[in-house]
Amino acid sequence: MQPNPTLAIVGSGPAGCYLAQTLRRSLPDAEITIFERLASPFGLVRYGVAPDHQGTKSIQAQFARLFERDNVRFAGNIDVGSVVTLDDLRATHHVVVLATGLARDRRVGVPGENLLGVFGAGQLTRTANSHPLEKPTLPPLGRTVAIIGGGNVSLDVVRFLIKTPGEFAGSDVNDVALEEYAAAPVTHIDLICRSSPEAAPFDPAMVAELGKTPGVQFTSLDHSTADGTTSVEAHPAALAALLPSTPGGTPRVRVRLHFNATTTRIIGMDHAVGVEVRRPDGQLQTIPAQSVITAVGFDCDPSDPLIGDRGASQETGYLAEGLYRTGWAKRGARGTIPENRHCAKAVAAEILEYLAAAALPAKPGYAGLPDAVHDRATDYAGWLRVDAAERAAAPGNRSRKKLPDHAWMVATARETVQK
Amino acid sequence: MKISILFGTESGNGELAAEDLALSLADGHDVEVRDLAEVTVEKISDEALFVFICSTYGEGELPNTALPFYTALSETRPDLTGVKFAIFGLGDSFYTETFGHGSLKLGAELEELGAHRVGEFGRHDASTWEPVGEAAVTWFAEVLSSMRLASHPG
Repeated sequence: MQPNPTLAIVGSGPAGCYLAQTLRRSLPDAEITIFERLASPFGLVRYGVAPDHQGTKSIQAQFARLFERDNVRFAGNIDVGSVVTLDDLRATHHVVVLATGLARDRRVGVPGENLLGVFGAGQLTRTANSHPLEKPTLPPLGRTVAIIGGGNVSLDVVRFLIKTPGEFAGSDVNDVALEEYAAAPVTHIDLICRSSPEAAPFDPAMVAELGKTPGVQFTSLDHSTADGTTSVEAHPAALAALLPSTPGGTPRVRVRLHFNATTTRIIGMDHAVGVEVRRPDGQLQTIPAQSVITAVGFDCDPSDPLIGDRGASQETGYLAEGLYRTGWAKRGARGTIPENRHCAKAVAAEILEYLAAAALPAKPGYAGLPDAVHDRATDYAGWLRVDAAERAAAPGNRSRKKLPDHAWMVATARETVQK
Repeated sequence: MKISILFGTESGNGELAAEDLALSLADGHDVEVRDLAEVTVEKISDEALFVFICSTYGEGELPNTALPFYTALSETRPDLTGVKFAIFGLGDSFYTETFGHGSLKLGAELEELGAHRVGEFGRHDASTWEPVGEAAVTWFAEVLSSMRLASHPG
């Protein structure tokens, strides 16, 4: 008779949670543990989705059931690769799945990216979300900012920069960072997109949302035209709706949307002072800026001890015997949260096939890990204490006030242990 | 009366609502839950009450898992006269232009083909954080009581 399978999933974001959900349906009695380096589950849902997109974050109610009802163990505060090695996990579990996502801001690949005053959008989004391992406040951005990239993450940054604190009602935004920023907010934003207005990757709903913030003037510069100007009618409906037919009063913030502009370098000696772009006719143009934010996607640090430089695979989640990956760690940084559900089903099918075919040795699972892991781990009940503390601390017009510090979160999670 | 709950989902929330609803009805009803991805239009008959739970994806479209079913409905155009259905739509009111459009399209197509909708059109808004399963259970209790009123007027 086969022993009861023991499974370890590394990462409690959407990729790991969807996988646990799919595996649990087929393996009602298997031991499934999700390891997470933070004391809070849900990964990107909590720290990557913009704080004012609470509807998107509500998916965490679905994932919470894994731990509350479906007997999936949460092992928080366990950084696989340092606290416990991947080899330890593989020695004790029949299947280990890497669902660690991709957190590093992808580089644009132009000269000047290492200058002071150049920041990644992922980093800023984590700060806006009070990520406990990220800087607590935004870096000084100055009054004029250039943002490279025309995707939804880029628009998340624009939205954060143009909104006033009062417009974050219902969110769980990092108010310490927001208030500091609001004391000296950006007044000019240049968003640089290499695509045409029609081909720009952002979602129309995200564009339309920008129009809800008062006091902002949007203009569009299509660099494929002779003088950069273009008619409002030449834009997709959501963009056209943002553009004023006639200039109104003095705006609080001016946002210029550059299309058909390819970034060639970030200009500066020590500190960034602007971005150089190439128009389709080959002409170069300089866009001055006191800081530059890159928002061109995410990738993996090749020195990462788990995924490293393996590259993406669209075909299989298999890495080695009993070792798999899912989500962005498998496919690369493409696609929305729900796409990980589909991905999880495919990877789960591979895992189930392996478990059915292999002659499994007995493996002890979580109980077989070193005592140091058990001593250090925070559990789901601990997360519920963090959750309750955050909700209780929320000011009237916020949904929660996140604990911004890892040690503080761990201490809150372990409260009963310390008593 | 047999109750057949058919869900179309992209994120899994529709499946969760379907499972919660089935669980709440398990006592006293003959209930099945099926993924619309695995249901053919020939299964839709007057043998059961069909409960559609369906989200919206992209620019007001049906979720990918429900598209083959919806496409088959529109292309084969079966006569659904006599079929009774209830429908519950999931969406996010943040997407004001397309909120709930997936389920609206599905419901309109079913009615167009002669099926009869019972009860109110259910709605869930992700931006409210209301538990989707509870919302579906509350909604369906109303559907059932409206059906009882209709069959036993007065």
